Amino acid sequence: MKSIPLDEAAVVIIGSGAGGGTLAYELTKAGIECVVLEAGPYLKNEDYENDEWKAFHQMAWLDPRTTSGSWRIARDFPALPAWIVKAVGGTTTHWSGATPRFKDYEFKARSTYGEVEGASLLDWPITLEEMEPYYDRAEIAMGSTHRHGRPALPANNNYKVFANGAERVGYKLYATGPYATNAEPYDGRPASIQDGFNFQGDKSGAKWSIMVREIPRALETGLLDLRPDSHVVRITHDPSGRADGVIYADKDGQLHRQEAKIVCVAGNSIETARLLLLSDSAMFPKGLANSSDQVGRNYMRHLTGSVYARFDKPVRMYRGETMAGIIADEAQHDPSRGFVGGYYMETISLGPAFLAAFVEPGAWGPDFTRIMEAYANTAGMWIVGEDMPQATNRVTLSQTMRDQWDLPVANVHFDDHANDVAMRNYAYGKAEKLYEAVGATGCHRTPPYPSTHNLGTCRMSERPEDGVVDRWGRAHDVPNLFVSDGSVMTTGAAANPTLTIVALAIRQAEYIAAELKRGNL
Amino acid sequence: MELTKGSASSVAVSTVAEDGYRRIPLGLERGSGSRKMLKRMLRVMFPHKNFGDAPYERAAEAVLALACEKPGRQVAFAAAIQELMNMSFETLDDDAALEHLKGIAQTDFFKQVQGRALLAFYDDPEVWSLLGYEGESFDKGGYIDRGFNDLDWLPDPRIEEYGGEQ
Repeated sequence: MKSIPLDEAAVVIIGSGAGGGTLAYELTKAGIECVVLEAGPYLKNEDYENDEWKAFHQMAWLDPRTTSGSWRIARDFPALPAWIVKAVGGTTTHWSGATPRFKDYEFKARSTYGEVEGASLLDWPITLEEMEPYYDRAEIAMGSTHRHGRPALPANNNYKVFANGAERVGYKLYATGPYATNAEPYDGRPASIQDGFNFQGDKSGAKWSIMVREIPRALETGLLDLRPDSHVVRITHDPSGRADGVIYADKDGQLHRQEAKIVCVAGNSIETARLLLLSDSAMFPKGLANSSDQVGRNYMRHLTGSVYARFDKPVRMYRGETMAGIIADEAQHDPSRGFVGGYYMETISLGPAFLAAFVEPGAWGPDFTRIMEAYANTAGMWIVGEDMPQATNRVTLSQTMRDQWDLPVANVHFDDHANDVAMRNYAYGKAEKLYEAVGATGCHRTPPYPSTHNLGTCRMSERPEDGVVDRWGRAHDVPNLFVSDGSVMTTGAAANPTLTIVALAIRQAEYIAAELKRGNL
Repeated sequence: MELTKGSASSVAVSTVAEDGYRRIPLGLERGSGSRKMLKRMLRVMFPHKNFGDAPYERAAEAVLALACEKPGRQVAFAAAIQELMNMSFETLDDDAALEHLKGIAQTDFFKQVQGRALLAFYDDPEVWSLLGYEGESFDKGGYIDRGFNDLDWLPDPRIEEYGGEQ
């Protein structure tokens, strides 16, 4: 592997997930050397566990965090606001694989939805049209089913219930994808063996992740210096306000400083915002790149919720891909439903260990036991939709708790917007109707899990005062500082965000490479 | 779910303040009746009628292991369990036992027992099997040839995207 000296001003990427990993591959492919600093360990596919809690403890980001606000997570899981991965490959390790694109109107949320009280809606500074070529490249890279000639995944048991219910309630836009899991071998990766452990890291490699594609290929270029167990604690800058280095702690807590000519932050929305806030200085008293005071604000987590339905016949939802079914009929802007924006329905399956913990946190007694007793006859779906950005939904530095490096942890404050509540209740009702149409004997409305989609804390904006980064993800305040993950999202759209994060990173890599060539960086 | 970090000392204080109680044991050792009491408590919490005692006993062990991590928590658990013994919880029928647990559901002791027991009980391979879950699958070749699509009480649905007019 390439070894870049600490005193050589390098392109430094912080984080190796969907954004950082893609950027590292695209830049090294273009001949540009990169240092990637990943806080977590270098887990490989063969290390992953087919066991929910073992895998959780192996890969989840479990460094302390705190929560506040009226969201139920603050009560049920006060130390676990987000369910993301700390390992090389980041959260692509446990992602579900769903790859819908954002829609045209979702890049223009403020113009389309109008003024929504309490929401800090803004149009993106880019359009779907500009994104389309990058969406194509991302789908081809990830092998999205139903796209570019990739065949559909077969129907598993959970999908059979879901799709038949969809048909009976009059939905049309249902299918087993697009999902970035191979139905047949593609791009050096095998076809799915339907093992059902997506959320635990897919051992077979049938599911696209940064660990199976971008990291090995970036290493093959000989231009990547990948440093796992390297937790960045501060970005430094020179007297002119340009980023000039990154300080990180290794797994023993020893500090190192890597000189940098460009810094790209891709630590997922909570850690990205926290790192900028931790990197305050006399020149940037509110945190690096935070003259707008927008760093950490407008934190979004998608409207989510699940419905688990019981039948009098076996379903065995756990057999087969964890997610491999999507309904898009409700993914549209139709304010007559009582809310702005839309949502998708997607199949989901949990094992008994996770279902017990998440189906109704804190529950016990006969009603709860009935849900668990029906496990083999249960079908499940996840609801994922657009939630409203709010300036007060915010990642800040904790005043009371510090992490293993004695740095303030992130506090994640969240209150549901009235639009979120209206959409969630509407979607629960639609999900129940769908399952009742195929004979459900009972349904349970499961509240949102700890957040897997963390978005918006360094949002993209046309005007510097409205956000943190420009249309390329380049910080308005710091010309050689980029944000390369889901925190740049101006609004959240309804779709699962990974495809868009990858597409944005491919686009950003092209821009950085061109700017380097032009001598502008 | 995250178990609360504070000890259940409030339970201990209120218990010692009451008159007419038997001694508060220092430990939760074998012979103290703690396991048996917890096992009964867990059966009322998670009443799977056809399950044997073994998974409930293992979950009770997990609760006791949590209790014994710290002296303050240990004495608080001992006191709370003693209180259940004092009111003959084990002799209550299912409905009365459920009502009693509802009454103490907001206590730190109950929340810690519920949180730890739930994690242990439903992470038990015997429970998985009783519920019809098959556990690890990768080394068995996944379910591609083992029934991932064996549901036969509904027609096979379309898997392609909709091709008609919206």
